[in-house]
Amino acid sequence: MTSILPILRKIAEAPTFVSGMTLFALMVMTFCDVVMRSAFNAPIEAASDLTLIFMAVIVFTVLPVVSGRGDHIAVDLLDGFFGPMAGRLRDGLISLICGVCLYWPAERCMVLAERARSYGDLTEFLNIPQFYTAWLVAICTALTAVALVVRGVVILIWGLPAEKADK
Amino acid sequence: MTEALIGFGAVLALVLLRMPIAFAMGIVGMAGYALETNFRAAISMVGRLFIDTAQDYGLSVVPLFILMGLFVNKGGMARELYQVSFAFLGHLRGGIAMATICACAGFSAICGSSLATAATMSKVAMPQMRKYGYHDRLSTASIAAGGTLGILIPPSVILVIYGLLTETSIGKLFIAGIIPGLIGIVFYLGAVKWTVSRDPESGPAGERTDWAGRRSALMGVWAVLLLFFLVIGGLYGALNFWPLNLAFSPTEAAGMGAMGAFLIALARGMRWKDTYQVLKESAFTTAQLFSVLIGAWIFSNFVNLAGLPEALLALVTENSVSPMMVMVLILLVYIALGCIFESLSMLLLTVPIFFPLVTSLGFDPVWFGIIVVVVTEISLITPPVGLNVFVLKGVVGDVSTGTIFKGVTPFWIADIFRLILLVMVPALSLFLPGFMH
Repeated sequence: MTSILPILRKIAEAPTFVSGMTLFALMVMTFCDVVMRSAFNAPIEAASDLTLIFMAVIVFTVLPVVSGRGDHIAVDLLDGFFGPMAGRLRDGLISLICGVCLYWPAERCMVLAERARSYGDLTEFLNIPQFYTAWLVAICTALTAVALVVRGVVILIWGLPAEKADK
Repeated sequence: MTEALIGFGAVLALVLLRMPIAFAMGIVGMAGYALETNFRAAISMVGRLFIDTAQDYGLSVVPLFILMGLFVNKGGMARELYQVSFAFLGHLRGGIAMATICACAGFSAICGSSLATAATMSKVAMPQMRKYGYHDRLSTASIAAGGTLGILIPPSVILVIYGLLTETSIGKLFIAGIIPGLIGIVFYLGAVKWTVSRDPESGPAGERTDWAGRRSALMGVWAVLLLFFLVIGGLYGALNFWPLNLAFSPTEAAGMGAMGAFLIALARGMRWKDTYQVLKESAFTTAQLFSVLIGAWIFSNFVNLAGLPEALLALVTENSVSPMMVMVLILLVYIALGCIFESLSMLLLTVPIFFPLVTSLGFDPVWFGIIVVVVTEISLITPPVGLNVFVLKGVVGDVSTGTIFKGVTPFWIADIFRLILLVMVPALSLFLPGFMH
């Protein structure tokens, strides 16, 4: 089990890198758009299209990593009332339930992506097919579901004594 | 209405069982929606929300403000703010704690998060206060309380989310936060003064800085002033002069602020490793916040479908409860919830329920936004959850949370007085936005 963790951590670096770099690109693009518009009256017209795509990439690529690491915002007010075994059971089951419940949204996003593809929906300025973004959302939601289920199973079987399972 | 209240109870129970807040709201919202309509409709609504939230232009302001806050952290601006505050206040009794409050407020003007403000200032201010023999109780409390100003003094991530949630102008919300923020500083300074007047040993005076020293410290904060005027001036349309035409939307203001903070941090020796760390941390925080946002939207769709806002309004009108009484009850609910929830989740869970009620009773949406943020600030230093206190405990380490909570009490009371003042005199929040076009 402990030998898998470093590998999972390495795999998790890739989506983290993509998300971080996209955020950097969003910042630079917004800055350039404002400067071009204000100083030269020549805004970057594609900026609004790209912002929407960048947002989906920033939020959803990193979501499986955040979920697998157990980094979601949670309240630990009653932690003292649970013993180590009960706490482990609770954390494992909750992670499992969260993962299973994400199956339906993931499936639905896939349906919506396919629908966008069949309609041939395009973005406003760059004419990029919209189903790419919907696919990304669907795939990343499915990966998040898998990450949560795996995390749940790992907690139930091995527990997470000192460190959190990564992705 | 009963279904919505059961849903609310279920969210509370799941959250206390340590289910991530995003999932607790999302799962209960989805199940409730399915019971009100059918499973297919619920799944459709949820799937649509996933895709739409990821592609909402207005929300792009959130990661950019988070990024700005983290770059500001790397830019060493906290130290400069502290130095200038110390130069002017350090010689007074309790002056170093007062300087901490002012430095926190200054930092809040370029950072939209209370937790980040508390974490950063504790690294800068705590060693100084220890050096001058300040009691841990006063020093930690002044940082924890001063840090709460981060979400009120613009820019503020919480105000952005409130604005997006209620379709209230983010620019107006930001400007409205300025006077309540300044009142917050004055009241906190009063709390420090009160503490040292009761126990002079807790905050001895430091050495006086001469005017030359003060002038050079003032020159040091140019970066902070530049960033603040770039972001807030751009939003306000105040930078609109020839040959430049700088009037920003919130997303653009956040982008300009983030880029400005990045360039300043870069000029001050930020390495690639630090830059990547900031980008990574911002991406993580963004994903966490968006999860909570999506969960909250699912839950609020259910609550609206179950007719809770209308039922609450009917209840109020039937029993002819005065609007001010309703407001007092709402604030009491917030203070109670603040003991359990962290700030953003509390806002997302309650605003969709209370906002329609509050606006139909004739209250101003901008004013309500400021009031909600001030109550949220109070929740950050209220036991047992008081996140700012725990952030401080995490950074400082060798002080018990009990000590910090004890020290924070005068600041908490000052906050309650400020809340009462802001509720009684809405003009304090609405005066400045009145000048905006």
